[in-house]
Amino acid sequence: MQSLADNLAHQPARGVRDRVLAQAPWGVALLVALVVHFVLGPVLGPYWSQVATQAAIAVMLAVSLNIVNGYTGQFSIGHAGFAAVGGFTGAAVSYYGALALWGGATKQEGFLVPGEWLMVGGSLLGAVLAAGLGYIVGLPALRLRGDYLAIVTLGFGEIVRVLLQISGPQLFEADDLRSSGFKQWFPPPLGGAQGFTGVPTYASLFWVGLFAALVCIVAYRIKFSSPGRALLSSREDEIAARAMGVNLARYKVRAFVLAAALAGLAGGLYAHTGVVMQPREAGFIKSFEIIIFVVLGGLGSISGVVLAAIGLTVLPEILRDPQRLIEAWGLLAAVGVLATVGGVAMRRSGSRWAPLAVGLGATALGLLAVALVASGANALMRSATGDPQANIGKYRMIFYSLMLIGAMLLRPQGLMGVREVWDHFRRARPAPGRPGGAAT
Amino acid sequence: MSDALLQVRGIGISFGGLKAVQDFSLSLPRGGLYGLIGPNGAGKTTAFNLLTGVYQAQSGTVELDGRRIERLKPHEIAHAGLSRTFQNIRLFGELSVLDNVMLACHCRGRHTLLGTVLRLSRFVRQEAAMRRRATSLLELFGLARLADEQAKSLPYGDQRRLEICRALATEPKVLLLDEPAAGMNPSEKKSLAASIRDIRDRFAMTILLIEHDMGLVMDICEQITVLDYGVTIAQGPPRQVQQDPRVIEAYLGEPAKA
Ligand SMILES: Nc1ncnc2c1ncn2[C@@H]1O[C@H](COP(=O)(O)OP(=O)(O)OP(=O)(O)O)[C@@H](O)[C@H]1O
Ligand SMILES: [Mg+2]
Repeated sequence: MQSLADNLAHQPARGVRDRVLAQAPWGVALLVALVVHFVLGPVLGPYWSQVATQAAIAVMLAVSLNIVNGYTGQFSIGHAGFAAVGGFTGAAVSYYGALALWGGATKQEGFLVPGEWLMVGGSLLGAVLAAGLGYIVGLPALRLRGDYLAIVTLGFGEIVRVLLQISGPQLFEADDLRSSGFKQWFPPPLGGAQGFTGVPTYASLFWVGLFAALVCIVAYRIKFSSPGRALLSSREDEIAARAMGVNLARYKVRAFVLAAALAGLAGGLYAHTGVVMQPREAGFIKSFEIIIFVVLGGLGSISGVVLAAIGLTVLPEILRDPQRLIEAWGLLAAVGVLATVGGVAMRRSGSRWAPLAVGLGATALGLLAVALVASGANALMRSATGDPQANIGKYRMIFYSLMLIGAMLLRPQGLMGVREVWDHFRRARPAPGRPGGAAT
Repeated sequence: MSDALLQVRGIGISFGGLKAVQDFSLSLPRGGLYGLIGPNGAGKTTAFNLLTGVYQAQSGTVELDGRRIERLKPHEIAHAGLSRTFQNIRLFGELSVLDNVMLACHCRGRHTLLGTVLRLSRFVRQEAAMRRRATSLLELFGLARLADEQAKSLPYGDQRRLEICRALATEPKVLLLDEPAAGMNPSEKKSLAASIRDIRDRFAMTILLIEHDMGLVMDICEQITVLDYGVTIAQGPPRQVQQDPRVIEAYLGEPAKA
């Protein structure tokens, strides 16, 4: 039997074409982001564009947490803490940077304006800081067994939240910034309990789409690789993984640091979506929302986690205001019926894409049904409480919890298990570890 | 300094008051196929756990190819060239059969985050080399057609063979097999014995084998060590060990005391 080194020596060199193709996904991500921004954005309108932006950020958070909780089987419950570190870093860089450079933080109009690059720089800095903190938190915790990481990360998130609460007041004027001394910068002026406001809304569909796609590519390429197998093996059986030569402590720490960095990046973008950055962004409730995405989507499944993150971001919007969907009932009903009927016909003819069509149809009809039920429920609540704003969206955590319980009972492995969506359309075969050729 | 590939001198461990393994010594020459036997609870698996770093030896030394390994961590021991199978099968159940073996190739590769994420040439070629190597190992064990199945879905005998296959994929100098024939029927056992011999000859492998099936051990092992209550009660060629009165006593279930 030849050794790996011998095998490698006999492996043919890679041609230029393969090398270029291997980088194609980055270009595709850019293209998709451009299309989303310039084509989908105007179609969606400002309201749904904002929902889509939040969904993309949720995808980044869920996919990054999945690297820890899904691949390695560790349990981090402080992911929002890392996102908040990136978020407040990004917010501070953008806001104070704009004050210092341009004398004010009003949004610059246009595509790829300098302010947007400041946002990207600030978010990347946030990612680096989050990674550093991830290393400090993860190194001791991951050397110990199992539950320690959960406890330590829970504590981490709460510490970040409390530190943000006692941070100094925000400086609103360029003059304040110029005349500020040590007293204004320690503790740093991150807004304290009032929160940090006025960050220009540069996180357009282009940027969140681009970064969400990049995060997915990174997560995918790690999952289907040798290091990815090392992570997955540790979740399967730590003793066996070690015996096969995997340096588990090192891999777990690396996975954790990477996840923290990607969360920091997501947080940096989030700060630029027009929200008031509150200390509670770092808290347990936020972390729990991300955990729900990952657990419902399927621990380890990138596509499952993406679907869950998108679905659970859009759902509360529908519950809050089902009227918007009901107005589009014609479209939903048409897509629903056509896709379902088409899917059934495809199944007859033995097409393996039949489940996809049926799934699409069922989703459209399901959305309509949810909207109708929510609309009825909201009307009931409004007449009962006399509050014209009452809606069942407020109780979404109850639905999430019920869904979680239901999922644990019916499908403990989550929507997808460790597999990817497309694996369910192939002949039965286990998913992990198949780099699908040079370009994937 | 002896010319043994694996030189174990007086290792031992106790759990609380229980002396699970005491003063265990072994000298395994390159290309040797030795056996380790003893009644249930004698400490055989514990001896393997000491050698592979699952437990830290409280006394004694282990030398692999001239290098002291008794203080190394399990993954370092695997890198040093000692690999094992597990009595209670420990495959990566959710992963495919191929991935189980490819994971074991991991420790002979070089890995960088950048290479992985950018799919650089080194990464792609190494991944292909791992796949080739893993596939040819699977072919050798007749498991190639199951490459895409989940490991946990395999029949019992195939899982045991996959364990051996995975252990070999780490490119060990010494292979430790913990009851590889457990739960197999006689014909499976026979073919397993043939493949163990075959592994030894083909890879010039050095093997230490724990096995309850006396016939199998006596048939293929050159030297046998017998443990009872953690103590080595006999060591020598099969015929000699078989006739040792203390071994007979231990196996006849007398409450033997060494
Ligand atoms: N981690 C541990 N803690 C406490 N006792 C242990 C531990 N590991 C093993 N033992 C004890 O050490 C003794 C030897 O166990 P071991 O598993 O090595 O036996 P064995 O020879 O492999 O037996 P079998 O043939 O049943 O596999 C047993 O009494 C066992 O209960
Ligand atoms: Mg045993």
